[in-house]
Amino acid sequence: MITLTSSDGVQFDVREAVAKESQIIRDMIQDDCVITNIPLANVNHKILSIVLEYCQMHVDKTEMEVNASKHQTTTGEGSSSVPVALKVSSNKNLNDWDKEFINVDLDTLYDLILAANYLNISGLLNLTTQAAADIIKGKTTEEIRATFNIKNDFTPEEEAAIRKENPWAFE
Amino acid sequence: MKVQSAMFYFPEEVIEHIFSFLTSHHDRNTVSTVCKAWYKIERLSRREVFVGNCYAVRPDRAAARFPGLQALSLKGKPHFADFDLVPPDWGGLAGPWIEAMARSCPNLEELRMKRMVVSDESLELLAHAFPNFKALVLVSCDGFSTDGLVAVARNCKSLRELDLQENEIEDRGPRWLNSFLDSCTSLVSLNFACLKGEINVKSLERLVCRCPNLKSIRLNRAIPVETLAKIINQCPNLEDLGTGSLIADHFSEAYISLAGALQKCKKLKSLSGFWDVSPLCLLAVYPVCANLTGLNLSYAPTVQGQDFVNLIQHCMKLQRLWVLDSIGDKGLAVVASACKELQELRVFPSEPFVGGPATVTEEGLVAISSGCPKLNSLLYFCHSMTNSALITVSKNCPNFTRFRLCILEPRKPDPVTNEPLDEGFGAVVKTCKNLRRFSISGLLTDQVFYYIGKYAKALEMLSIAFAGDGDQGMMYILNGCKNLRKLEIRDCPFGDAALLADVTKYETMRSLWMSSCDVSLRGCKALAAKMPRLNVELINERDAEMEENLNNGVVDVITNGNNKNLNNGNDERKVEKLYVYRTVGGPRSDAPDFVWTL
Repeated sequence: MITLTSSDGVQFDVREAVAKESQIIRDMIQDDCVITNIPLANVNHKILSIVLEYCQMHVDKTEMEVNASKHQTTTGEGSSSVPVALKVSSNKNLNDWDKEFINVDLDTLYDLILAANYLNISGLLNLTTQAAADIIKGKTTEEIRATFNIKNDFTPEEEAAIRKENPWAFE
Repeated sequence: MKVQSAMFYFPEEVIEHIFSFLTSHHDRNTVSTVCKAWYKIERLSRREVFVGNCYAVRPDRAAARFPGLQALSLKGKPHFADFDLVPPDWGGLAGPWIEAMARSCPNLEELRMKRMVVSDESLELLAHAFPNFKALVLVSCDGFSTDGLVAVARNCKSLRELDLQENEIEDRGPRWLNSFLDSCTSLVSLNFACLKGEINVKSLERLVCRCPNLKSIRLNRAIPVETLAKIINQCPNLEDLGTGSLIADHFSEAYISLAGALQKCKKLKSLSGFWDVSPLCLLAVYPVCANLTGLNLSYAPTVQGQDFVNLIQHCMKLQRLWVLDSIGDKGLAVVASACKELQELRVFPSEPFVGGPATVTEEGLVAISSGCPKLNSLLYFCHSMTNSALITVSKNCPNFTRFRLCILEPRKPDPVTNEPLDEGFGAVVKTCKNLRRFSISGLLTDQVFYYIGKYAKALEMLSIAFAGDGDQGMMYILNGCKNLRKLEIRDCPFGDAALLADVTKYETMRSLWMSSCDVSLRGCKALAAKMPRLNVELINERDAEMEENLNNGVVDVITNGNNKNLNNGNDERKVEKLYVYRTVGGPRSDAPDFVWTL
């Protein structure tokens, strides 16, 4: 087990495999194999618990698939040795689970993106940035600014020039 | 006021990661206008650019804005160039684009160009400037020879796609195919169907042999059946095949090996070529027909009558079919009964401008529309059409997005009622809500333009020839079609009033072409004066009339750099060809003498 400590001091005890979903934690463990407590200065406990939920699910799912395929190849039967809880979720597609998982408010999405980036969890980073991209798709400039509360810092001339060049030249 | 959101402070690489999921040009363009940081991140991470008019922006500007560009698509000459309405030296040069890319975009991997003039020097530069170059697609281009292809073959070591469609290529012998290096094993797609000359078949076989990923190969007419059979045998993954000549004797070794090879072609989806065919060879093709989704017989004048019927009856899954009108209405009836999945049909004239005995009419089109309910794209050259047929067709196939109908004889009315075809084409726009491309012909009054303006809300490109009564017709279009991007008009009585009715409209469109209409030099000058961001170009070929006028001193052209002074006393003179387009690049600098930029 490894203890991860959030920026606001909350400790999470997780299996090493779960923590190692994060590339930076993986690197730390590799560099120092007796490390047991890792402080994470950029992630608060609320976000860290969501991140760990994601890691836990993805590790479980992977392990379960490995077990299932092992079991099948050795006995030729169904995966009877796999725990019941995992069997239930195995019926559910991981993509569906991800889709539900990422259905969060914008502020949480921002924090998850930053956490995924900081911890370098590539699956979670793809999932969260894809979600942000999906929010952007089809929106107008004004709608995007309003949605993400981004200030327009172009001068009117600059903005007019880009707004003309885009559709005129690069359709 | 709320403070800037967290998004504003995201690291650049995170924003870039988000943008990597934005694949449409429209979305990429939109995020570039959100704020300065996003503009910068977007422009540095843009990998693909489509420039619908090569004169809408200067090449240097495009290259400077998107230095990480990997794939560029460019279009050059106006579409009417396909009908020989644009003089050969008009422009649309690829050179400045390739030079600008060579200077600023070293990562370029893919270049697609349509209707552009490509020199051998440009191809030479391209072949050396981009170390990772992978795909060259040239469609309806000219200006180069097989020497340019030698440079590409010899130097583009990771080439995956060489696709030459409908180009005019000067043939300087077969050595270009020989120039692919032995280390070139990456080809996925090779199309040289438009090359006229002999091909070194041994080089071709060796090249195919060392490219295991080849999925698409389109040969030219010079390739005999023996070679075709060998090539197919080498390419188990072939999905798209353009045959060479298909002439083989009964029970000849060539025929037997072709038949054997085709039987193993399980993945083939698309077939073209058929330049010369002996009926026997068609038999060899039958086994692959059941899986075909695309069939192009537009180069196959000899596949007709019973041969065509037998072939098409095996093609139950066809979605795309290109044919010559020599198959006649009878041939189309067979298509209608056999090809229930058909989505796209193109019927080309076998003898342009001359009505042969077996050509297609309204009868064939009605049959297709009732047999093929999924049809959504049509190009149809025919000799007659009726209103009732068009009404039936649009009822049967309401999902048309492209509907191009060309009645070869201009201004031909409905032969049954002798009426104009307004109601028929009107039915098409009323019924087909998703119509994006529309070409109309036959006898037409302003009424048809009233219908188009009123109903064709999704229309993006409209081609008009020999139609209308006067200015009002064009005004209906400009007022009504809010999504219109390209309007091309020839031989219509539209004049200055129509041209100048809503000049701001042209800034919402990619281009306007008008030839042999009623616009005057005065009207064009007025348009140019009111709309400085439009390039208003006149094409004055030095025809007899022009020479005469010059000799008489009527037209006083002073060539002074790019500023051709057009001040003279004859502003009422009709303009033969007018091409108007919006641009952020200003007047083009490569215009030949016969193009006047107002």
